[in-house]
Amino acid sequence: MPIIEVTHLTKEYQLGHITSLKENITNSYRRLLGRPIHKRENFKALDDVSFSIEQGEVVGIIGHNGAGKSTLLKHLANISKPTKGSVKVLGSVAPLIEVGAGVNPELTGRENIYLNGAILGIPKKIIHKKMDEIIEFSELEQFIDTPVKRYSSGMSVKLGFSIATSLDADILIVDEVLAVGDLAFQRKCFDRMEDMIKRQGKTVLLVSHNIRQVERMCGRVILLDHGKVIMDGSSSLACNRFYEHSDEKIKLQTIHQQQESISKSSIPNVGTLKLLAISIIDEKGQKIDRVNYLSRVTIKVRFETYIELKDPTFGIGAHTPDMIFVANDDSILSVSNIGIVFPGEFEIEYQISKMALLPGVYALRIGAALKDNDLPLFYGENLCHFQVYSDTLSRSRTVSQGFVSFGGKWVIDKFQNSLLSTQILQ
Amino acid sequence: MGIDTGNIPYPILTFAALLPWVFFQESASEGVSSVTSNAALIKKIYFPREVFPITAMVTKIVELVISFGILAAMMLYYKMMPTVYSLWVPVVILYTMIVALGISFFGAAINVYYRDMSQALPVVLSLLMYGSPVMYPLSLVHKKLIEEQAAGHWSNDLYTLYTLNPLAGIIDSFQRVMLKGLPPDFEALYPGLVLTLVILPLSYLYFKRAENWFADVI
Repeated sequence: MPIIEVTHLTKEYQLGHITSLKENITNSYRRLLGRPIHKRENFKALDDVSFSIEQGEVVGIIGHNGAGKSTLLKHLANISKPTKGSVKVLGSVAPLIEVGAGVNPELTGRENIYLNGAILGIPKKIIHKKMDEIIEFSELEQFIDTPVKRYSSGMSVKLGFSIATSLDADILIVDEVLAVGDLAFQRKCFDRMEDMIKRQGKTVLLVSHNIRQVERMCGRVILLDHGKVIMDGSSSLACNRFYEHSDEKIKLQTIHQQQESISKSSIPNVGTLKLLAISIIDEKGQKIDRVNYLSRVTIKVRFETYIELKDPTFGIGAHTPDMIFVANDDSILSVSNIGIVFPGEFEIEYQISKMALLPGVYALRIGAALKDNDLPLFYGENLCHFQVYSDTLSRSRTVSQGFVSFGGKWVIDKFQNSLLSTQILQ
Repeated sequence: MGIDTGNIPYPILTFAALLPWVFFQESASEGVSSVTSNAALIKKIYFPREVFPITAMVTKIVELVISFGILAAMMLYYKMMPTVYSLWVPVVILYTMIVALGISFFGAAINVYYRDMSQALPVVLSLLMYGSPVMYPLSLVHKKLIEEQAAGHWSNDLYTLYTLNPLAGIIDSFQRVMLKGLPPDFEALYPGLVLTLVILPLSYLYFKRAENWFADVI
């Protein structure tokens, strides 16, 4: 017997402003006369969604912004009603939807604990017993008698989470709220949730953009896109699909920015060196933006200089879209003297024999300086986005493994006494 | 004053009229805005939404109790003793609450969609106040219409129309049982009661239907 059953759930919202009373009256008048009425455009937030969840399952719901994740949770929590289809939920739900869910800003922290307990139908005596535990977990001993409206967003999340996880609801819904808490509290929350899942057998629905956490915690993931269930299955498969999706999206978005940012140096008032173009070239000499993992690529950068440059040095690096610098190389390390570059256009080339970056989306950063005085001439980040792909490596596996491969060689020696030992050479 | 109030002093008669009236007015307007003012809760957690108008009304009972204290002091000053008919008071108050709920359910649901509702309601209510025996006693209306037939052959219908306002019966009954030591005038209560019993279920059904889109629209 599934604890949550969703069948053909469709939710439509009307777009645009609320109609005025006059419009409503003229519309009903037109309807009476059988004339066409002014209809507002409909927006399908959820489109024929069906799934069922068994007791004790931990399900992650992922998808881009606007995919319908929160709408779906609102239906499970019985806050919104479906346009079509049905939602059946057996058991009580502790919804943690948005920041400070179910927390009344006018009441104090302590009163909110009672209020939420009352809403979940828990007797005052039991809440009273749990009070200390809740307050302790929320780390809000000092502020518990202060109205919640004076709390910071982190504080209200802490309170909301502590209440929702302490009050013994059958189903816990967590929607993106943990992002607000600090790392230490997030850690605590995940431990708490793991405890609820493993020891108490609670059903948990988790919505997050932190795919790594979702993948780690959930046995099953539902991937939503534009209101439709694209995938419902094992977490690694669904997360993998999601990564591919978002890699594509990030790349598309950044291609527009590229043209603008290419000539922009982050060093102001240095009009000596101008970046003209960056291109990534594959083995066949073709310009590409998708790089095969472990393939040979060349990065070509065109500059224009207005002055004579004596012994310039160049640096090239890669970083992820969230600005984690993962790779770097400097021309000074291998080429000691470039010599004099005369005013005009010139091109530098950087050859990578094996693309060691693991599948994902990266961007280039490029810098130039004079060797003598270390004077920066040019520096830019987010310059050229490219995607590394692999036909053999799964994307979600690489995410949990980091960004770069050692590129080493495995040697496994089988000894005669059948003892296995491994060592990495090279 | 020029208003015939019988043997009851005008100030206490008016105050006894204002007491149920203010309770009704406050409950209704608080009830109408109760759903929208709890938007934060409605968007995030589910429980039966009729809790909002009902609690809005229950909290008004506190104010009612204070008013009763003042009324008691006035009765003491005018040396009036409550009679056994005062036992009708809880019934009258309960009836007032039901009338206010009828307005609250409907108004609260409308107010989610058209916020102007909570703005318009005070105007409508203050107009209704002139149509209720607050500043003049019901007996005056009765005398003009029924005894003197002031409006010709329309008089009886006009009186029924007047008493269709549940507050007419409520205020009059309250004055009778508290001050005059008389049982309620059922003839004046009856048309309003019928109207209320028709409106309340409709209003409640509308509220329950509208409840489905509260969280989407609010």
